[in-house]
Amino acid sequence: MRFLRQTLAIAAKDLRSEIRGKEAVNASVSFALVILLLFSFAFDLEPEQVRNISGGLLWLIFAFAGTLILNRSFARELVNDCLDALLASPASGAQLFLGKCIANYVLIVIVEGISLPFFVIFYNVVPQRLALLFLVMLLGTWGITVIGTMFSAMTVNLRLRELMLPTLIYPMLIPALIGAIELSRVLITGSPLAESLFWFRVLVAFNVIFTILALALVEIVLVG
Amino acid sequence: MSPQNFTFMFYGFTVAWLIIIGYVISIALREKTLRQELDRVKRMVEQGEQSRQ
Amino acid sequence: MRLKIIVTLCLLAGAILAWNLHRIFLQVPDEASQGAIFRIIYFHVPAAITSFTGFYIAMFSGVGYLIGKDLRLDSIAASINEVSLAFATITICTGSIWGRIIWGIWWTWDARLTSYFVCLLIYFGYFMLRRAIDDPTTRARLSAVLSIFACVDIVLVWKSIEWFRTQHPGPVLEIRGGGGMAPGMEAPLWWNFLAFLMLATALVLVRTRQEGMRREIDALRRYAHAF
Repeated sequence: MRFLRQTLAIAAKDLRSEIRGKEAVNASVSFALVILLLFSFAFDLEPEQVRNISGGLLWLIFAFAGTLILNRSFARELVNDCLDALLASPASGAQLFLGKCIANYVLIVIVEGISLPFFVIFYNVVPQRLALLFLVMLLGTWGITVIGTMFSAMTVNLRLRELMLPTLIYPMLIPALIGAIELSRVLITGSPLAESLFWFRVLVAFNVIFTILALALVEIVLVG
Repeated sequence: MSPQNFTFMFYGFTVAWLIIIGYVISIALREKTLRQELDRVKRMVEQGEQSRQ
Repeated sequence: MRLKIIVTLCLLAGAILAWNLHRIFLQVPDEASQGAIFRIIYFHVPAAITSFTGFYIAMFSGVGYLIGKDLRLDSIAASINEVSLAFATITICTGSIWGRIIWGIWWTWDARLTSYFVCLLIYFGYFMLRRAIDDPTTRARLSAVLSIFACVDIVLVWKSIEWFRTQHPGPVLEIRGGGGMAPGMEAPLWWNFLAFLMLATALVLVRTRQEGMRREIDALRRYAHAF
């Protein structure tokens, strides 16, 4: 119970500071819209082709925009030695990590929620099974958040932090991204769901495995 | 057993050997720089100790 | 003593490779559909297995560092990962050349090549991370954690890309070399693997010694600046 309370306190702190400043979410949504625009130039496709690559487009946008939020996650604590203060607090490394994960998760889901209607309008793609699509978004986003927050913790004190985070996390995220992309494509195009259950299992397995691994190892990364 | 197959097979083996040899050469070069660095730092330490005495 | 081990390993590896190459070129018959190019498998597959073995042994070495805090284990891990990366490069290059003949194109996003490329990217990231950290203990700690994540992820990457390619077959058919080979044809593959393993061990020993020298330089420099 105390574990949860302290974790949620840290999550609330991050969310509160972000809601007051709104910097990361604004930047992230703007970036998502820019990518939507750029993709419209990069791919000049028939509507049927757009529906086929819709899953890929959507998750590339979410992954790129999400990285902006993940980058700030631990970096914002460097000012005034806040990170040292947090590490010295009664909250364990795992609680700190989980709290930041939850905060990042909420923020990225907000960004995705804002980007999705724009995607639907710009590309004229109406998802067939919206509720299931939201479920896939929630599952896929947790995978991105866990890996992203973990690597944000690892790279927090490095010189080229902003450069290194995307380079490190995108190869790691490939199983989750493929799973999310495939499921999204199937749900948007209305294809039969049965053959895609494997991807659902991949997403869940990815989330479970890396959440446990991250919680086990984050203390070593943050403290030593 | 066309000639093109044989040519590319030799390209393949050559590339593999070139990568191994290239890597060994890079290790050897690193060894040289490390030895020079080590000698330089050892001399620095000796000079420091002599100036202290 | 160490130098003797390194030289012995290299000579043994060289001898096995030379004898094997003789066998591969003169005794093993050409494969029915692929012709001569199929012999590249005798470098491609052993290099692949060597690199994967290396990555996983390096992970355990990293875990050993996290438990024992001995920087030598970190040196061993980094050296093994570097040598494995070299063998992974060999795997991809030979695979690409084989593909050029069999499929007519230099690259295709088939399951194995793609998974290997992802592996390569992950370990490039590993070395990028190491280079960005100056403090040895922090570098060792973070490298070990990254190594654990990488090794767990590689399994998931393989499986998911494999399934992706089953659902979306690429423009070329994937020919699984290695399954269903005649008994006489398979043995040189394992001998080459042994030779590569010996060569890799020799290279790892050399690199580990270099890492030890690097640690000595850092320690002496700190001592020198203390004056």
